[in-house]
Amino acid sequence: MPDFDVAVVGGGIMGCATALQLAQHGMRVVVIERRRLGMEASGMNAGTLSLQIKRAALVPYALRGYELWKTMAARFGMDVGFHVRGGLTIAFTETEAEVLVERMGERRAAGVPLEIVSPARALEIEPGLSHRLVLASHCALDGYANSNLTGAAFRKALLRAGATVREGEAVSAIDRDGGTFVIRAGEAVSRAARVVLAGGAWLDRLVGFLGFNLPLHCRVNMVSVTERCPPIVRAMVGHALGLLTLKQSDNGTVLIGGGWQGTGDRDGDRATEVIPENLLGNMQLAVYAVPALVHTRLVRTWHGFEAHVPDFLPLAGALPGIDNAFVIGCVRGGYTIGPYMGQLLGDLILGRRPGLPLFDPGRYIHRPMVALTAP
Amino acid sequence: MEGTTSLRIQQAVRRGPPVTLSVNGEAMVAYAGETVATALRLLGFRRLRSSPRAGQPRGLFCAMGVCQECVVRVDGRTVPACLEPVRDGMSVVTHVDGRDGLSL
Ligand SMILES: Cc1cc2nc3c(=O)[nH]c(=O)nc-3n(C[C@H](O)[C@H](O)[C@H](O)COP(=O)(O)OP(=O)(O)OC[C@H]3O[C@@H](n4cnc5c(N)ncnc54)[C@H](O)[C@@H]3O)c2cc1C
Ligand code: FES
Repeated sequence: MPDFDVAVVGGGIMGCATALQLAQHGMRVVVIERRRLGMEASGMNAGTLSLQIKRAALVPYALRGYELWKTMAARFGMDVGFHVRGGLTIAFTETEAEVLVERMGERRAAGVPLEIVSPARALEIEPGLSHRLVLASHCALDGYANSNLTGAAFRKALLRAGATVREGEAVSAIDRDGGTFVIRAGEAVSRAARVVLAGGAWLDRLVGFLGFNLPLHCRVNMVSVTERCPPIVRAMVGHALGLLTLKQSDNGTVLIGGGWQGTGDRDGDRATEVIPENLLGNMQLAVYAVPALVHTRLVRTWHGFEAHVPDFLPLAGALPGIDNAFVIGCVRGGYTIGPYMGQLLGDLILGRRPGLPLFDPGRYIHRPMVALTAP
Repeated sequence: MEGTTSLRIQQAVRRGPPVTLSVNGEAMVAYAGETVATALRLLGFRRLRSSPRAGQPRGLFCAMGVCQECVVRVDGRTVPACLEPVRDGMSVVTHVDGRDGLSL
């Protein structure tokens, strides 16, 4: 007999949001996380909840994710550091301006409330910006949350909803005993009627436990934070080519990202290293965009692992050819969209009608072909 | 008084050769081997910077490069004064904060 209706493996935002939806609708849920909830991508990302930087195909999901972020603190009974600041994406050359107009046109058509603004208007909205900008887009809804708080907030909400949270041991095997999934993590064995695999950049390892193959691409995203400085920029600042995200927190520190890459091995001790040219490039662009940053010192740079599949769309749905097994992951900009993706997958599992289509994992997840060996 | 008095011991001390700094635009004398923090303190400067939000006075505290309360701008760079040796011709600006940076 299973002890749980569902076992969720991986306690990032995807796993937690799925588990929460299930627990809140009466299922007995266990979340199994090898570290603590929200310590990988979901706990170290740049926290940007900007609608205008989402791919058009994901905008409907991002809008709904954003709505869930807005009410999260009230629903969870804990501050999640959510702020609405408005965002400006800026172009410095005519070529960048063309890209901006094209991308933002698509996103506006997909439902993002944004407008293209002149340099004068952009500087009126955000006087901290460089006068060298030639065009900008503005979305008044853009905001951010403090990703440090994500794990603690979801833990509180999950426990309140009656879920069980098992932290500190990695899942090392998932076996099937009749209709029950038997999940081992250290000494602990969890038996569940259904399993949700939400392993982030390690999702391929988890589907591997069930005999599936997933060609996963893993990026090593860099984020940096400066020392505290007086208020120099109020809006969230981005760059037309997506190479910059920048925001100043209430405590005066400035968080700088933009998807620049470091190096690192997602296995073993997960150690990562800065690529100096990338750090320099990221910082130069930040100072170019917000000149007052020039005298501000960098305090810390770190990296997190983020996974994607070749079409850059999410995996969210049932595993092909096996009952009661589901995956969720590979969502670009997943911090913004995560709360809604989890709710969607939860609805699928609960037999409720999902509000938007899911993303068939069978596109990329297959059983390996049996190798032909010589007799 | 900032810059007008010297708190230095005057007798029986051997110092390095004198160097001239510009402190907030005024020429002042320090001695090779001193840090900027030492020189500023002995020149009577207690306030070295302003706290970033409330703008309150901050100055030499740990004297070993940890607390960052002593940061000043030296030749355009933001550095802890307690770790920076004086050099002839160096420009030092105190009370720096991000806003000053715009006009420097
Ligand atoms: C540096 C960085 C900056 C980013 N910035 C932004 C941003 O500003 N805005 C935005 O919207 N998105 C951003 N993203 C993307 C976003 O963070 C991710 O899309 C999202 O957090 C992924 O959530 P997840 O739950 O799939 O993965 P994760 O948060 O990585 O969670 C997966 C979990 O599975 C656990 N796990 C793995 N294997 C096992 C196992 N065998 N047993 C038990 N547990 C296991 C891991 O420990 C981990 O906690 C950023 C990503 C990174 C890395
Ligand atoms: S006094 Fe602490 S860093 Fe200089």
